[in-house]
Amino acid sequence: MLKSRQKRLQKFFIILLLSVAGISLVLFSLNSKLDLFYSPTEMLASELKLGSRIKLGGMVKIGSIRRVDTDIFFIVTDFESEVPVTFRGITPDLFKEDSGVVALGYYQNGSFIAEQIFAKHDENYMPPELMPVSKKNDS
Amino acid sequence: MIVEIAHFLSVTSAIVLSLILIFNLFFYFADSHTNQIILSNKLFNQACLLIFISFGLYVYLAAIDDFSISYIANHSNSQLPIFYKITSIWSAHEGSMFLWIVFLTIWSVLFVNYLALEHPLKRGTMLMLTLIILGFLLFLLITSNPFERILPFAALEGADINPVLQDPALAIHPPMLYLGYVGFVISFSFITAYLFHGDFNYSWEKDIKSWSLIAWIFLTIGITLGSWWAYYELGWGGYWFWDPVENVALMPWLAATAFMHSLFASSKSSVLKTWTLFLGIMIFTLSLFGAFIVRSGIIDSVHSFANDPQRGIYLLGFSGFITLISLAILAYRLPQLQSSKLIVAGSKESFLSMNNILMLTAIFSIFLGVTYPLILESLNGNKVSIGPPYYNTIFSPLILITSIFMMGSIDALWQRGMQLRKLCIAVAPTLLLSILGVYAIWHFTKIFSLIAYVGIFSGLLIIMSYALKLFSSLYTKAYFNKGSLLAHIGLGLLFFSVSMNSILSYQKNISLFVGEEQFVNASLSKFQFLDLKKTKASNHDVVAAKILVLHDNQSIYLNPEKRKYFARGQITSETAIHTSFLRDTYLTIGDQLDNGSWTFSLQINYFVKWIWFSSTLMVAGIAMTIFKKKIL
Repeated sequence: MLKSRQKRLQKFFIILLLSVAGISLVLFSLNSKLDLFYSPTEMLASELKLGSRIKLGGMVKIGSIRRVDTDIFFIVTDFESEVPVTFRGITPDLFKEDSGVVALGYYQNGSFIAEQIFAKHDENYMPPELMPVSKKNDS
Repeated sequence: MIVEIAHFLSVTSAIVLSLILIFNLFFYFADSHTNQIILSNKLFNQACLLIFISFGLYVYLAAIDDFSISYIANHSNSQLPIFYKITSIWSAHEGSMFLWIVFLTIWSVLFVNYLALEHPLKRGTMLMLTLIILGFLLFLLITSNPFERILPFAALEGADINPVLQDPALAIHPPMLYLGYVGFVISFSFITAYLFHGDFNYSWEKDIKSWSLIAWIFLTIGITLGSWWAYYELGWGGYWFWDPVENVALMPWLAATAFMHSLFASSKSSVLKTWTLFLGIMIFTLSLFGAFIVRSGIIDSVHSFANDPQRGIYLLGFSGFITLISLAILAYRLPQLQSSKLIVAGSKESFLSMNNILMLTAIFSIFLGVTYPLILESLNGNKVSIGPPYYNTIFSPLILITSIFMMGSIDALWQRGMQLRKLCIAVAPTLLLSILGVYAIWHFTKIFSLIAYVGIFSGLLIIMSYALKLFSSLYTKAYFNKGSLLAHIGLGLLFFSVSMNSILSYQKNISLFVGEEQFVNASLSKFQFLDLKKTKASNHDVVAAKILVLHDNQSIYLNPEKRKYFARGQITSETAIHTSFLRDTYLTIGDQLDNGSWTFSLQINYFVKWIWFSSTLMVAGIAMTIFKKKIL
């Protein structure tokens, strides 16, 4: 009786140990693969580690888009702070002035080097991440 | 007027469905219930018919451009071809929910009438289906009414369907996907009825086997079509983005795949019964979770519909309720379901159950990836997103272990263990060939990426072991399961081509004036901008470039376009793709620079067509299994 109970307990602990190990591995991998989302103000206020990849979201400042060869330069604003962004490549069709944009990349020496640019899916759509920003703008 | 009739029919259907539920609740324990079942079945058929007529009327209204209906006015346009007028119905929330319900009803009415009157589970299944249809119908009528009118003045012209959605693949992608999603309502209701009924000697697997396989086929086709469309239409050159909405389709797919496998084990050797029942419940539950994620707007995604908390709460409540009922019945019946049979190590079902566990791990990891940003944001307000690196890291070891078990399972027998020595001899040639294959790829490409090579190795393991099996049985004339062989080779090919694609593909950005040419790299010796034409089509302006690419001395002409649609002023790019055996030459045109030159994005994508081909193989394999005479 006692022995079978002990055995059961042993089994239980082994399973528990394995699951904890598995889940913590997953969580560990998750934490190193996260992309934090910042607005320009939040990004400038936070002390980012050099070379940490983040998502920067805001509006493309009117009149700020400049293209040189296949490089594109523009300014992302949340109407409080502004961050200059550099991107090499073709921007999505919906990327334009005065509309929402999300850039994935790194912040270095005062400018943001984007690896990827995401624009809004359609003209009525606003990423929830940008809602607080645009609401601030409206009020 | 017609729209009021359609609306009225849907409401009537909801009332009839509620009557069936109330009626059966009162008389469930009455002695003679054959007549009740006949009556309920008749009522159920009528209610379903009402929904079909209602949807038929709605399709007619969309076809004749009745812009007095708010939904049609917002999503269609009189200039559209009739095909897109009809498909515009499922281009947004209300209409696609309606379509979802219609499919739910089709599956249900077919299955309920397929079960014979004497079938012990007919009534329970029917009631569960009634409850689910009613739940979604009320959701449609209360929170997302597609019949709503713009009164008193109808719109003169519709707002048009989003141009990127004006595409044949996308027109059939949602119907296929929904047919798959919803198809698992059959196994779900049947299993809950089985658990509720409580006679566990009945072999339930045979009744839902084919139904689940057909639903799996639809789900696979739906996912593949979506991926194919994203590849050629969106111009990013990718086929899978680990977007939350893709993930919520992948979770039921994995659960369904696990379910199919354990259904085999359960019917062959009566082990894994509880497990199979649990998976059967899980698939539909995950579909419901998916519906919640997509339609509540809780997660930011390219697929998300407008944010509406009321819808989210209703769906969460309803899915939670359905899930809770089914899991509660399962928990209650658990002691009776315990099988005295143990799984023998080294037997076919032991490998199978290991892979089942791995698939569940995969589902859990995806679930975590989808919900973690939500949890984190509500805990400390940090906004995060989880991208491909997370999923790649999680999936590569899982895929490797799965392939190893799969390799072992080929020669294993049902209910009998296998000697380790015999197993080693059986897998040795496969291992050797796969290692050689990986070495050859490294030798020719000189590119190394651990994750990709794990994928390539896993893919080769599966392909080689099944190919060897095929050759040896051609020689010995031994029996082998052709459907399973085809489907598994498809999976191996999928792993292989996805990994090869990730190491070989590359992108170049180019800016050129008309008439200029440029040297790109050794294999792309010439990129020439021949001509640029501006033309007008029926509902959009076109800027079309003519490009000549010299790719390994082969001349390829490409015509990428940029379109500006009149109705919404939206700009879209039409990618030009040239396909050869191994790779696609994929070209998108970007913006015009201030100095007058144009930008292009040229991508060389390897093995993309192989990805679509491998899922075609999987579908073909499963289809063969269905049509095989002796299924169980």
